Amino acid sequence: MAARGALLKYLRVNVQTVPQNPRPNTGLFSLSFNAILRHFSEEVRGSFLDKSEVTDRVISVVKNFQKVDPSKVTPNAHFHNDLGLDSLDTVEVVMALEEEFGFEIPDNEADKINSINLAVDFIASHPQAK
Amino acid sequence: MGTSSGPKLSGMQKQVLSLYRGFLRAARLKSPEDRRQIESIVSAEFRRNSQQVDRKNFLYIEYLLRRGKKQLDQLKSPDTVGMSSLYLNLHQPTNHKP
Repeated sequence: MAARGALLKYLRVNVQTVPQNPRPNTGLFSLSFNAILRHFSEEVRGSFLDKSEVTDRVISVVKNFQKVDPSKVTPNAHFHNDLGLDSLDTVEVVMALEEEFGFEIPDNEADKINSINLAVDFIASHPQAK
Repeated sequence: MGTSSGPKLSGMQKQVLSLYRGFLRAARLKSPEDRRQIESIVSAEFRRNSQQVDRKNFLYIEYLLRRGKKQLDQLKSPDTVGMSSLYLNLHQPTNHKP
């Protein structure tokens, strides 16, 4: 019993050492903590990219695709009708766009993207695109 | 090949494209050389089948899909570096080239 008492005393957690409010001298710590929090929430929320910037970047990705004739790439080009890409090529292009903009496009969305216009619209309306 | 463009994709086409996407995603996680090698093997295989397999041979396409999913699961394992060994093993029994 004595041993148990000693053990319980030893295990007791001192609640009072945790301050309710950050003391003034922890200002630096709380500031950096806030900065991390803010950064994190921005990361999750993201922000929308400018549409003309998205268009330029999408066009340059598509122009760099080996099977595409760069002179045929316009903001209104359709992947199959204008650029002669098949559905497997289209998957590759959309995957390249994912890497360019740093986010993953789910299958059901990716299946719908078959033109530069649709790609730009989707990416410009996606908060995670970087 | 006759890959459709404007018309909507069939359910089976979507499954094939989704599998292809899965392989390309898995390849991203490998080293750059392995990635390039995996991409060229996978892309060649999908293209070969898209040209050689009868589009109405649903049973065979379903079989290929199932086989592909198994290969993809193996590729996803961090221990699997490339596709070559994996591919040869699984590929031989169904390879009906002359």
